[in-house]
Amino acid sequence: MTCNEFEEMGLDAERDASLSDAQRTAATAHVASCPRCAPLRDSWEATRLELRALAQATGTLTAPARVEMRLRQQFRTQYHAPKVRRTAVVAAWGLAAAAVLLGAMSWVKWSSNRQSNVAFKADSPGSNQGSSDQNATGDSQTLMADNELSDFTLLPGVLPTETDGSAILSVRLQRGALGALGLPVNEDRAAEWIQVDLLVGNDGLPQAVRLPE
Amino acid sequence: MRIADQERDDVLLRRAGKGDEEAFTLLYRRHQAALYRFALRMSGNAWAAEEIVQDVFMTLMRDPKKYDPARGTVGGFLYGVTRNRVLKHLERTPQREVSLEEKNENGTGPGIVLMDATTPAIQAEKRERVEQVWGAVLDLPSEFREAVVLCELEERSYDEAAQMIGCPIGTIRSRLHRGRALLMARLEMLRDAPRRATLPTRASVAK
Repeated sequence: MTCNEFEEMGLDAERDASLSDAQRTAATAHVASCPRCAPLRDSWEATRLELRALAQATGTLTAPARVEMRLRQQFRTQYHAPKVRRTAVVAAWGLAAAAVLLGAMSWVKWSSNRQSNVAFKADSPGSNQGSSDQNATGDSQTLMADNELSDFTLLPGVLPTETDGSAILSVRLQRGALGALGLPVNEDRAAEWIQVDLLVGNDGLPQAVRLPE
Repeated sequence: MRIADQERDDVLLRRAGKGDEEAFTLLYRRHQAALYRFALRMSGNAWAAEEIVQDVFMTLMRDPKKYDPARGTVGGFLYGVTRNRVLKHLERTPQREVSLEEKNENGTGPGIVLMDATTPAIQAEKRERVEQVWGAVLDLPSEFREAVVLCELEERSYDEAAQMIGCPIGTIRSRLHRGRALLMARLEMLRDAPRRATLPTRASVAK
């Protein structure tokens, strides 16, 4: 082994696992006989001792506790804060969706109410003018007639017919006159004056009678 | 799953990635000291070492998927990130900007702990010597310094050092050889300096 080879490989031959036994033996033999490399080896041994002292002096050092504290704080911020934020975002979106749904339902309801109101107004007598007034009046009369007709009693021999065009005629007569219309009369009260409503048909003949009292 | 499996670095990292603070803390405590010492021995600056370690774990926290199990261990990955940060720091501040005598947060200089100092005088002397040796290490070019720190201070094998740095073992041997030569020359000079200072000069002898 030459001095250069010893410097490069032999100085730390014991630790260099990549060297063969033969190379280690050669290094030992060289340093034992070389007046240049022996002091070099001694110098290196002294240096190594000093490096050991440095390694020992710094061997127990650790990062200050504040580093761990900062990292854990950052960890919490990174992993826990977003969860809270995510929950808040989800809740906010949920509320917003509910508000929109509620608004839509309210609008639909309001809209349908509005349409039915318009339809009712269109059907009601006061909402139209002219001919529609006449229709409305006619309708109300019909309604009235329907209500009034329900109290009428058909005269004997008269078949129920449509009442369109019929008229109600209020007359004052003696009870006995009802016999002429085919109705039974109490002879004891035949001379009694009563108020009678007659339903007169298109032909001018009475069809039904109503006794208001 | 066995307990040993649960506490494996990659398992802890996976758990940490899902928000498990305990797993992250365990991972940090397991690796921080070695990374801090490496950064400190390389930079000679306690503040820089602290920042580097914090930065490394921040990186791990923010993007745990950067670690690829196929490419090695979590420890190796963390060392690689630390090494990159240290080299960047050394590029920015090629000169040692903080004296080893400056106090850190605990008031103990760079944190040197002398276990076997019997008296204050011996302690002071040893501290001074350790600081000189550290100064000599810090004066080495960064690639030689890294080899010396890994193989001499951290006592890693050549093979381990080569894997960590990512170079052939011959490169480690070569860097160590050159680093040692520089270191020995510097320390020889420092050893001789006190001797020269105490030796009587020719002029004083003449008197």
